[in-house]
Amino acid sequence: MDVNSCVRLFLPAALCAAALVAGCNEREGSSPRAPRPVVLTYWPAPNPQEILLADTLVRVWNRLHPEILVEMQPIPVSISTEEVLLAAIAGKTTPDVCSNIWPGALHDYTQSGGLVRLDAFPDFDSVMSLRTPRELLERFRVADGHFYEVPWKTNPLMMFYNRRLFHEAGVLDVPSTYGGYLAAAEKVVTHRYEGGTPDVWMGDRDVRPIWWQRLFDFYPFYIAASGGRTLLAAGQPSFGDSSAAGVFEFFRQCYGRKYFPRTYFQGGDPFLLEKKATHFSGPWEVAAIRKFAPQMDFGVAPVPVPDDHHGPVYTYGDYKDISIFSTTTHPKEAWEFVKFLVTAQHDLLLLRICDQIPVRGDLLENPLFAAYFRENPAMTGFARQAVYTRGMDDAPDLKEIFDAIAQEYESCAVYGRVSARDAIREAVGRTNLIVEWNR
Amino acid sequence: MTGLNRILRRGRTGDRGAYWFILPYVIFFCAFVAYPLIFSFVLVFHRWNIVTPMEWIGLKNFDRLIGDALFYRSVLNTLTFLIIHIPLQVVVALALALLLNSGVRGRGLFRALYFLPVVVSGVAVTILWQQIYSFDYGILNNILHAAGIPSVPWLVDPRVAMPSIAIMATWKNVGIYIVLFLVGLQNIPRELYEAANLDGAGTFKQFRYVTLPMLNPTVVVIVVLSTIGGFSLFIEPYVLTGGGPMQSTLSGMLYIYNQAFSFGHMGYAATLGFVYALVILGVVVLQRRMIEQDVSS
Repeated sequence: MDVNSCVRLFLPAALCAAALVAGCNEREGSSPRAPRPVVLTYWPAPNPQEILLADTLVRVWNRLHPEILVEMQPIPVSISTEEVLLAAIAGKTTPDVCSNIWPGALHDYTQSGGLVRLDAFPDFDSVMSLRTPRELLERFRVADGHFYEVPWKTNPLMMFYNRRLFHEAGVLDVPSTYGGYLAAAEKVVTHRYEGGTPDVWMGDRDVRPIWWQRLFDFYPFYIAASGGRTLLAAGQPSFGDSSAAGVFEFFRQCYGRKYFPRTYFQGGDPFLLEKKATHFSGPWEVAAIRKFAPQMDFGVAPVPVPDDHHGPVYTYGDYKDISIFSTTTHPKEAWEFVKFLVTAQHDLLLLRICDQIPVRGDLLENPLFAAYFRENPAMTGFARQAVYTRGMDDAPDLKEIFDAIAQEYESCAVYGRVSARDAIREAVGRTNLIVEWNR
Repeated sequence: MTGLNRILRRGRTGDRGAYWFILPYVIFFCAFVAYPLIFSFVLVFHRWNIVTPMEWIGLKNFDRLIGDALFYRSVLNTLTFLIIHIPLQVVVALALALLLNSGVRGRGLFRALYFLPVVVSGVAVTILWQQIYSFDYGILNNILHAAGIPSVPWLVDPRVAMPSIAIMATWKNVGIYIVLFLVGLQNIPRELYEAANLDGAGTFKQFRYVTLPMLNPTVVVIVVLSTIGGFSLFIEPYVLTGGGPMQSTLSGMLYIYNQAFSFGHMGYAATLGFVYALVILGVVVLQRRMIEQDVSS
């Protein structure tokens, strides 16, 4: 049988089969049935704690609202949530609701028309005013004057320290300034040497020039040193000052004096292994310590600031928010679900299951949360710090700007090849080019 | 005449049937080669981040490329990698192929072992080498430490990182080149060795004047394949170093990836891709002129 004969024989049969299937579907669709429930898709972050939280909340919701069923599916694992969401926007496969929106990527999502305007819902203001202080909420308003995200949780970056290691090295006061930190580091590192290298480091950071790594060292330190400023002002770089150069110089000293190793550890978290005395991290670290190093005696303090610093110590808040994607065919129902996610009861669940801080103004006053903070005193510091946090600028170029900073940070701080002032000047220069290019 | 017509008609029918057979490949080619290529060329003149509409910007991407220090750095890094990797690859593959061709016991087992890294996922191999190269807990540094030699910052020193990656890439790919060399070695006529033997040539001279010239076409293929493979260097720096330290392992492909998928500069990444294709073409043509010999001479 040649090819043409095959086609002649099988094509009509295939068409008949297709018609039959289509006919069956039509008959099925025309039969009288009860109204189908609305189905929403919800993507939480793909870490075990948030999956557990999402699963718990979705079960409760589906029991209470059988007419609006929510299907939970963790965000597909990839390099970053942002890449997954951008790909989903491009492919129009976004969920109805997602609770892992990083404000730094919001610009791309809004510019593409990927998100639903939340302040278009009549009760947006009243819902928000019950939960988030107005001044804090205003920081989430984007350039077009509207809101596209509900500020959900914040993870203020703070300094964890190991009390035992400090005590053994003779560090009596928790360092709060660059000078104090470097003096404490000298004691910690010289206290125990093994084979020519310190047995215990003062700290460490991933030295690879990966842009987001700088969210956990340079950026919180810069926000703290500058009294709460972010990288851009009116769309232009505003970090070319002594604060940023001071941060570079501080880390340059840490690496130059060998208080930090010029490598990245792979045999486990050195802080949990009690191989380093300080660690810059968010509240999620508390759960990790509880699980993997329950014997550790640790404390939490704001990140160090310049010696002449005055006023409150701000830090990077590492916010993750909730948005509704414009592919949804049920925006009202999705909004109802979003409101359900951010009730006080569910914020308490967020604390209990994930050890992350809800963006609420009444965390330390509301009796609902009192028992949690009594049981978890380490989290109280984060709740206090949450008021003094900053997020990301609303700009299209953030990742590239952080990449430029990461390259200069590596040259200056890690390898000491250029001075802090020159490195910052170069980073600002490159940022100007990036900003200009992307306009 | 009637017979001729019948033959022609049958020929045409046969031709039509053949089209059905090549149709799947034509569809594949159009979808996965021609369309992306044409689309990339269109992108060269646009600014586009996948989610927002394309914006025509003429030759601005080329203008940016000319003044982009990181582009030159990435080309230089890739060439550095090739300079280390290709000779290493050829020497190691040839040495092992000679060994396997000499009738050593367990030849099949060794051949399979050398080929194993080729078929293992690049990411898995890279993660394995991350553990080997680790400064603090790595196997290599543990061995050095036990021998009283100071630890080597394999991946965190700008001078050492690219050679470390080249060694790893050689280990990963050497199996396939061993096979190519073995084929080349087995195709050398025995008479040439017999004649050389009669002329009093020893083992080294036989290798120098018979084996090497006769393997020249294989060497050319291996060098060209290694060059093209080397220009595609991505997984290793992406997983191991992120392009650092001090941009010393920022390869061309990693830079293109960063521009496209980290920063959303699809147009600029496409421009980089086309320019890299020209660089690869230039290097390969140059290599062939330098290496290729007429074996019959």
